[in-house]
Amino acid sequence: MATRPKMAVIGGGPMGRAIGRILGKLSTPVSIWARRPELRERLRAELPGVEVPAELKAAVEGADLVMFAVPANELELAAKHYGEFATGDQIVLSATRGVGPGFVLPHELIRKQTCIRKIGVLGGPLHARELALGRQINLVVASRFPEVIESVRALIAGAPVALSSSRDVLGVEVAGAIANVASLAAGMSEGLELSDTARGVLLTHGLADAKRLGVALGADEVTFAGLAGVGELIPRNVTSMDRHLEVGRRLAKGETLPSALSAVEGHVEGVATAKAAVERATVLRLKLPLVAAVASVLDQQASPKEALEAVLHLGLELEGRGRARA
Amino acid sequence: MDWESRVSYRKAAPMRAEDQARIKDELESRVAQAYTRRTEQGGPRLSEVLEDSLYHERRRLKEDRGSPKREADNHFWDQVQAELRRASETTERTLLRRVARHYTEEIAGNFNPRVYQSVTRALPPALGLLLNAVSPLKLVRKLPELPSIDEQVVIQGEVEHLHRLHDLGTVIMVPTHVSNLDSIIIGYALYRMGLPPFIYGAGLNLFSNPLISFFMHNLGAYTVDRKKQDPFYKDVLKEYATLTLESGYDNIFFPGGTRSRSGSIEMRLKLGLLGTGVSAYVHNLRRGAPQPKIYIVPATLSYQLVLEAETLIDDFLKEVGKSRYIIEDDEFSRPRQVFEFMSKLVSLDSKIHVTVSRGFDPFGNPVDDDGQSHDPCGRVVDTARYTWRNKEPVIDADRDAEYTREVGEQISQSFLKDNVVECTHVVALAVFGLMRARNPRLDVLRLLRTGGSDEDLELTAVYREVERLLNELRAKAQRSEIRLGPSLSGDATEVVTDALARYTSYHNRPAAQRRGDRLVPSDRNLILYYQNRLEGYGLQPFPALTKDHRALSSR
Repeated sequence: MATRPKMAVIGGGPMGRAIGRILGKLSTPVSIWARRPELRERLRAELPGVEVPAELKAAVEGADLVMFAVPANELELAAKHYGEFATGDQIVLSATRGVGPGFVLPHELIRKQTCIRKIGVLGGPLHARELALGRQINLVVASRFPEVIESVRALIAGAPVALSSSRDVLGVEVAGAIANVASLAAGMSEGLELSDTARGVLLTHGLADAKRLGVALGADEVTFAGLAGVGELIPRNVTSMDRHLEVGRRLAKGETLPSALSAVEGHVEGVATAKAAVERATVLRLKLPLVAAVASVLDQQASPKEALEAVLHLGLELEGRGRARA
Repeated sequence: MDWESRVSYRKAAPMRAEDQARIKDELESRVAQAYTRRTEQGGPRLSEVLEDSLYHERRRLKEDRGSPKREADNHFWDQVQAELRRASETTERTLLRRVARHYTEEIAGNFNPRVYQSVTRALPPALGLLLNAVSPLKLVRKLPELPSIDEQVVIQGEVEHLHRLHDLGTVIMVPTHVSNLDSIIIGYALYRMGLPPFIYGAGLNLFSNPLISFFMHNLGAYTVDRKKQDPFYKDVLKEYATLTLESGYDNIFFPGGTRSRSGSIEMRLKLGLLGTGVSAYVHNLRRGAPQPKIYIVPATLSYQLVLEAETLIDDFLKEVGKSRYIIEDDEFSRPRQVFEFMSKLVSLDSKIHVTVSRGFDPFGNPVDDDGQSHDPCGRVVDTARYTWRNKEPVIDADRDAEYTREVGEQISQSFLKDNVVECTHVVALAVFGLMRARNPRLDVLRLLRTGGSDEDLELTAVYREVERLLNELRAKAQRSEIRLGPSLSGDATEVVTDALARYTSYHNRPAAQRRGDRLVPSDRNLILYYQNRLEGYGLQPFPALTKDHRALSSR
């Protein structure tokens, strides 16, 4: 694109605000739409250079890129609403980490509700707070359309962002969604005061589960060894991770799920993701030990201690081409 | 519906000689421009492109000794080689244009505008008569009356919708492909539906077949030489198809690329040629064509028996990688066998179903009867926007390949939905399923080779399994996930009897036959072939085809 593309952000949460701030600084024309009027007021006050229209139509009309920065449980509705005004030339980005019922991935959801083809998904250790502080961030954008990746590059030119690109939309989404589930487990291990090693082992199991499920669905296993996979498990405070950690900690201390959820701000996608992933894995005849353990805690089928210890006792089969022969 | 009486004349315009000439000229300059631009953007130099062509063509000519134009081709490439040695950049451009022209002449050369015109204007006689007209004389004398199979071809589905799309834009029909008879059947079905012939790319080898070459010309075929591996040739071919679409000529592409070897529905499609739909649409938009839209309409052909079944499945079962991409010596090349096949169809009242599906735009959206595209929620979509870059319609190969992939998925779904399943398929699936269940430790290939532990099966077990499958299939048909043919209207016993009669009627060795109260799978390969038509519906707990074979069947 010759000039700076025009961007519309759907969702006025921490992610939407952070993106608005960065793009505003780059003097990229950006508009943000939030459903709740009070949130729109806040956005107008916080982000003076950014357009905050009351109607979604006004926000997305004529935009080159439209980004969804809404929690997974709101994505379907938001996409359906946007679908009224969507045009085939627009590029849609999704920063949602989570799945719909039946393990429907964000890009599938957007595809089902709109005429949009050029979809890109964001992944990697994206941290809204670091984004807001103006620190360098690392971002993965995955799309099957090279044009999407070019446009994101053009969009962030001049911003402190290191961009990695991938064609594996499915892999990046599965990695991001399961990372939330792994964070719930990591939070539980902290609440139970398990060792740092145990925490690492649990996260590794999470990654192995993500890879197994992703590959079965058609993802490229390499994705899970990259920034969108292992890359976002190492830092502790990636976007949605902190609230998942907090919920995990509270569950381990004996709080009920509703009470733990009400204690954190934002939607805890990992809860629905764990259940949907277990269902999907059953159909695919896959074993996802860590995800199943988290799901059993959420369902109150097992205590956090029992569930996690069972996983920690499992061996971790090394899979893939590099497998050593006995 | 009385399709026969409403031949559409609006677009029945034959490919006029001036169209032919214009297409050839335009093609030459378009291809040359595209390659020059690519060079300027850091792509391969023209000399490299030409050297590549030389290399591929020399190799083909060395291997393909039977090629009819071998001498002339060799001479042409001698000249190219000689001139390339001392070529300036300008000469290289001229040479590239000459090679493009050379390929175009062959591609378009067999297309006879006059025949196309006469077929379009004067309605062709019945299929049987047409077959008679082209049967070798000897055959006709011996067997004075070739059966008329008009009654055997059942046309169903979205015929009115196809008419509408044909009136509103240019149609690419994408049929399933199991037999060389397909193009004849499709051509005939188009005629019966009151549509003018569509043009299509037929393998060069088919033109040397006396029986079919007549039809090829009548259907408005251009030539595709699948032995030519030169990438430049493939680009010329695609550009030719694009230009015919832009000129408003409806096309037929077989998206499976070649006849399905396994007998299964094509799930992985060759999308190269299909992608010309997007290109033609962009060109139409750019020049402000009055009816720029291109529509893709799947058609599913379903046979109870397949003429070339034995050859195809044998080829399929050859060790992975050793099967042939081009088969020239199959049942189809033997007029007597084609005749016999046709006779059997008639005597058994065996139907060939041509099911027309609803159309798509080149971006994979469904279209309505007014030619408008819809998103998954039913909202009208402005398709021109998909082609925009900075608000201008442009061709973008990477982007358009992705659009075409979406179309491919839609086509596969239509094929599955509009596949008409018959007794021959269900009984084969039942028999093969029982054989597998009884030999759990044998893989498919071993089972085919040895037959497993039992020489035959109790008929009662077969009836039970057929019963189960019929129930599942009827439920699927209710949900419009598949169509059931007339041979499945009876109960399990009738269906089995019917299938056995059909297996015995045509093939050298019947797929299965009855012996007392037992059923003998006498040609296991054929059993596999016919059961494969029901692959992808989840009717058996384990798929019969290995991953390798699935890949092979849809190369």
